[in-house]
Amino acid sequence: MRDVKVKANSKSTEEEENEMSSSLSVKSTPEIEKKYVHRVYDAIAPHFSSTRFAKWPKVAAFLESLPSGSVVLDAGCGNGKYLGLNPSCFFIGCDISNPLIKICSDKGQEVLVADAVNLPYREEFGDAAISIAVLHHLSTENRRKSAIEELVRVVKPGGFVLITVWAAEQEDKSLLTKWTPLSPKYVEEWVGPGSPMNSPRVRNNPFFGLESIPETDVSAKDQKAGLESIPETEESTREPKATQDSLGEQKDKSSVEVLLEALKMNQQEYFVPWHLPYHRAEVSGASASALASGLAKKDDRKGTVVYNRYYHVFSEGELERLASGVGNAIIVDRFYDKSNWCIVLQKEALNQD
Amino acid sequence: MRLIMHNMLTCNIKGVINKSPLRIEAEKVIKKEVDFNPDFLRHMLAKIEWKALVDGARSMGYTELPVHAPGIESDEPFLRKFHHALLELNLEEGSLVCQESGRKFPVNKGVPNMLLHEKEV
Repeated sequence: MRDVKVKANSKSTEEEENEMSSSLSVKSTPEIEKKYVHRVYDAIAPHFSSTRFAKWPKVAAFLESLPSGSVVLDAGCGNGKYLGLNPSCFFIGCDISNPLIKICSDKGQEVLVADAVNLPYREEFGDAAISIAVLHHLSTENRRKSAIEELVRVVKPGGFVLITVWAAEQEDKSLLTKWTPLSPKYVEEWVGPGSPMNSPRVRNNPFFGLESIPETDVSAKDQKAGLESIPETEESTREPKATQDSLGEQKDKSSVEVLLEALKMNQQEYFVPWHLPYHRAEVSGASASALASGLAKKDDRKGTVVYNRYYHVFSEGELERLASGVGNAIIVDRFYDKSNWCIVLQKEALNQD
Repeated sequence: MRLIMHNMLTCNIKGVINKSPLRIEAEKVIKKEVDFNPDFLRHMLAKIEWKALVDGARSMGYTELPVHAPGIESDEPFLRKFHHALLELNLEEGSLVCQESGRKFPVNKGVPNMLLHEKEV
C-alpha cells in the first residue's frame, strides 16, 4: 500500500492561502486558451491530424536513444504521431482535446484526456517524457513553468525530458504576414466574453481583414516540404525583440491582466490562422457554432473556415531560463532546430550516500 | 484503458490527499492479446503498485493474480499472469472513482477523461 505523504504545516495561514490562490490560477484554464487553443483543436482535429504525419528527426532520435522497455509519457500528444515511434518502448499519451485523443485511440494507442499543466499521474512512473509543440499554447509564464515541473515530476530520478516549442526567431521569414500579433486593445475583446471576431472594432479594422493576411494552404505546403523534418511550425513571425521575459508577479491577477503585462514587454503573443476547408468543416460540425459565435470566420475565396490559434512563441534562452527554475532537474542538451527551441532535461538522480 | 495506465493515474482534485489508486467500476471489458515480453514485465514490477493492480484486475474480472508480488525471482507462470493483468485487460466503458472524494472519471471507448471541472482545481 502506498505511503500517504503528509506535508508538515510550517507556513502561516496567509502564506498558505496565497500559495493556494496562485496555484489555483495556475491550474485553471484561462479564457484565451479555451477559445483559441482547446476549441480550435477540437474543431480542426481530423484535418490537423492529416497534416501531422512527418516524424521530426530530432524527436525520433531522442526516442530511439531510450533504453528498451522504457515507459514514455507524451503530454500533449495531439494525434499521437510519436506514440509507438520506438517500438521497444511503452507509450502513454495524453491531450486536452477529446477529438485528437479519439484519433489516437482509434490507432490502438494507450491514451487519456488530461491537462498537461496538471497531469493526473503519480510521480516517477515514467522513464522519459516528451512535450512536443505544446508549451507555446500556454498563455502565462507560470503555466508554462508548471507544465515543465509536471514533466519532471512524472519521470523517475535520472529520467529524461524533451521539450520543443516554436521560436520567436523563425527561419522562414517570408511567412511573417500570416500571424496576427495580439495587441492590448484587442486582448479585452478577444479574450473576454462575447463575440471577438464580430466586435465592431475588429470588423472595421483592415488589419483583421483577410485580404491583408495572405495565406498558403498549410497541409499542401507541409507535404511539399518533404518528409525530412517537418516541425510543428508552418509560418514565421516578425523580427523578435531582444527583451527578457521576466518571471512576473502573477499571483492573484486575472489571465487578461497577465496577458496585457506580457504584451507590454515584447511581442511574442500571436494568433496563427488555421484554414479548415469547407468540406472538412461540415464534417466536423463544430464550425457552424464557431462561426455563429464569432470564434471563426469564413474565407469564401479559399473556401475555408478560418480559426485562430493562440501562441506564445519563445525567444532565445527563454525555455532554458524557465527550465532552470525547476529545482530538481538539469539541462543536458539545448538546440534550435527548424524554427523550434528545444531542450533536454534530466531529473536529479537519488542520492547514493 | 489498461491496468498499466490505471496504475499511474491519480485524482488531482484540490485538497484530496489519497489520490490513488482509483477504484474501477467496469461496465465493459475486452481482452486483447499482447506479445509476452518478460524483460519489460520485470522492468514494470518495480513501478507497479501491486495492490492497486490486484484490485483493478479483480474489478475487471481477473482474479488469478497473487495477493503479493513475488520476491526477486519471478518465474514464468507468475509473469504470464502479471502480463495478462497489466496489458491484456481493456476497460472500454466504466468509471474510475476517487476513493476519497467519490468523484467519477468516465472511461468511454477505452479512453479515460481525467479533466477536472473549474471548481475542482
